[in-house]
Amino acid sequence: MSSLPEPRLETPRQQSAAGIRDRADPRLVLADRVNQLYNQLPVSIAATFVAGAIATVELWGQWLKELVLFWWALVLAFTVAATSLAIAYRRAADKVEEAAEWLRRLGIAAFANGASWGFAGAVFFRSLTDEQQVFLAFLFAGIASVGIPVYAASWPVFALYAAGILAPFAYVLATFGNRLFIEIALLVPVFYAVNVAIAWRLNQVFDSGYRLRHAYGRLTEDYSVLNQRLEKQLVELEEARRQVEASGRKLALFAERAPIAVLELDPQARVLEVNRAAEILFGYAAGELVDGHVKKLVHPEFHAEFDANWAKLISSREPQAGVRIRNPRRDGLDVVCEWTVTPLVNTEGRIVAVIAQGQDITRHLEAERLKKEFTSTLSHELRTPLTSIIGSLQLINSGVMGEVGRDVAELTTIAERNGQRLLDLINDILDIEKIESGKLTMNPEVFGLGELVREALVLNKAFGERFGVRFEANGPIAARPVHADRKRLLQVMTNLLSNATKFSPEGGVVEVTMEERGPSLRVGVHDRGPGIPENFRHRIFGRFAQADSTTARQKSGTGLGLAICKRLVELMQGRIGFEDRAGGGTTFWFELPRHVA
Amino acid sequence: MIAPGGQAVPERPLQRICYVEDDEDIQRIVRMSLERVGRMTVEIVGDPLKALDAMTAFKPDLVMLDWMMPGMDGPTLFREMKRRPETTSLPVVFITAKASPRELEELKAMGALGAISKPFAPKDLPEQLRELWKKYP
Repeated sequence: MSSLPEPRLETPRQQSAAGIRDRADPRLVLADRVNQLYNQLPVSIAATFVAGAIATVELWGQWLKELVLFWWALVLAFTVAATSLAIAYRRAADKVEEAAEWLRRLGIAAFANGASWGFAGAVFFRSLTDEQQVFLAFLFAGIASVGIPVYAASWPVFALYAAGILAPFAYVLATFGNRLFIEIALLVPVFYAVNVAIAWRLNQVFDSGYRLRHAYGRLTEDYSVLNQRLEKQLVELEEARRQVEASGRKLALFAERAPIAVLELDPQARVLEVNRAAEILFGYAAGELVDGHVKKLVHPEFHAEFDANWAKLISSREPQAGVRIRNPRRDGLDVVCEWTVTPLVNTEGRIVAVIAQGQDITRHLEAERLKKEFTSTLSHELRTPLTSIIGSLQLINSGVMGEVGRDVAELTTIAERNGQRLLDLINDILDIEKIESGKLTMNPEVFGLGELVREALVLNKAFGERFGVRFEANGPIAARPVHADRKRLLQVMTNLLSNATKFSPEGGVVEVTMEERGPSLRVGVHDRGPGIPENFRHRIFGRFAQADSTTARQKSGTGLGLAICKRLVELMQGRIGFEDRAGGGTTFWFELPRHVA
Repeated sequence: MIAPGGQAVPERPLQRICYVEDDEDIQRIVRMSLERVGRMTVEIVGDPLKALDAMTAFKPDLVMLDWMMPGMDGPTLFREMKRRPETTSLPVVFITAKASPRELEELKAMGALGAISKPFAPKDLPEQLRELWKKYP
């Protein structure tokens, strides 16, 4: 099972409002202020144009028409220039990076705007009638006041604008020679300062607003990122939960439906859970076992052994397999089970549970016993009648009972040969059975391998002659010592020679060689037979392996010979194999380690 | 064997055989084999419980015992023979279809001369017995 990711959620840092404002990007805040200024620029342009138009009409006829026209031209020039500036700003690609530059341009425009009014004040005020002077003063005051909301996003811009209007006007008032006007002139800077202060304050408010806007924008962004991450983690968590649930279900299903008994135990060998198969096998309901000690399922005479094994399991934490235990059932009968016991260890190395899986092998043991009994029966009950059959035929065929007719002799020879074949089969089956059940005991001794090879050639000579095949030693057959079971090695040689004989053409020669190969001695049996078919090579040493019998001159043998040879040679720490022989035929060989005294 | 007089005397030939075997067919084959091929005198005993008396009466040179017999098996009979002074020194050869190497070793340790496995070759049986007989002191 894969480990689950720990859900990690980042909580936003607790922040004060001031702290939040600090998160705003100052460049963006400036850009916003500049943007606001330019947004309000058309209002300013329109106000200047309208107020300028009214003033022009008011001054027309009172004053030098050229001067009034000039002033009007100034107002128009400002209108055109400011409008172009506003359009240029609107079209500008990068309003953020160049915000400071745009602010500077706006500052110049604002000052020019203010200065155009200042010019009017300086030039026209002196020669106006009292009523007109009041009108102009009001106009100026209004124009200056309008600048506050228009330019408040940047108080220096307002300061420049208002200075452009009020400075020349204050100068004209101060030098008018009228006490009232001097007093007013002294009040103008105060009025100016108050206006600038208000603009500054408004500037602060705007600034703070924009900073908040950006800070919250960023916070919102952060939150949405967090939310996305949270959502992803929730999806992962849900997926993990589904996986765990599925594994759990699968595991439960495995345990529940398994044909083997499954017990979950705690480290003190107390039963935590049992599956259905265990209930059926032992005849206890789950409730009768759960919370009790598992020794209830162990025969009392093995309790001490159980305790020792359990202590070993808990200390080693290694799984144990193939543990055979006699388990008493509820009905008093015993079943023998083979257990696989696996401690479940958590990441801290602590055993959380022990899973015991038990398979009832009572029947299997019974089958083994029956097989053994059968083998023994096969051995005795089949050999005894065969002794009579082969013995009788042999006595007839050997001629000691007197001459028999030719046809009869042929038939009794056939009968004896096939009786012998049956006997060989029984012997081979018993051998294979003994080898595979591990009951074949080797009686190793030290003897000369060459000697044994020569003995095998003598013993099998008669068999070869029956097929018209001659055995021939090729090269030296030296008396090198080996440590092996003499009788069994003779059996191997006999098998190889008889195989080679059966596949040799009549009048053929089976060559036998012996050579040293490193620390081993190799005996080769070489025939000139048809060779081994490709599709048979991989199973030639298998049980009941026989190639298409048409290749053998006479079908005989049990198909177990080479299987027995292989196992016997391997039991003697040797190897066996075969290879094609140059010029046709096959070489079977075996190698045994040379005995070093 | 060299006689005290320095003259070589022929070894005493194996002549009288007592065979305890319950299977009648095998009894006959062994009788034919030993009598016709081996020119020996044979006493066959079918009931192992009567074997000791038969041996005492027949006085064989060598006793052949079947391994598995109803009533009393070969090894038990062999142990009985060892207990009786009349039969204790008789050489015994087992004829067996099954015997583990360990069991054979045990019997040899108790004084059995050897074992011939079933099925045996009747035409070679007398020769096999004579080979074993040569080893008998």
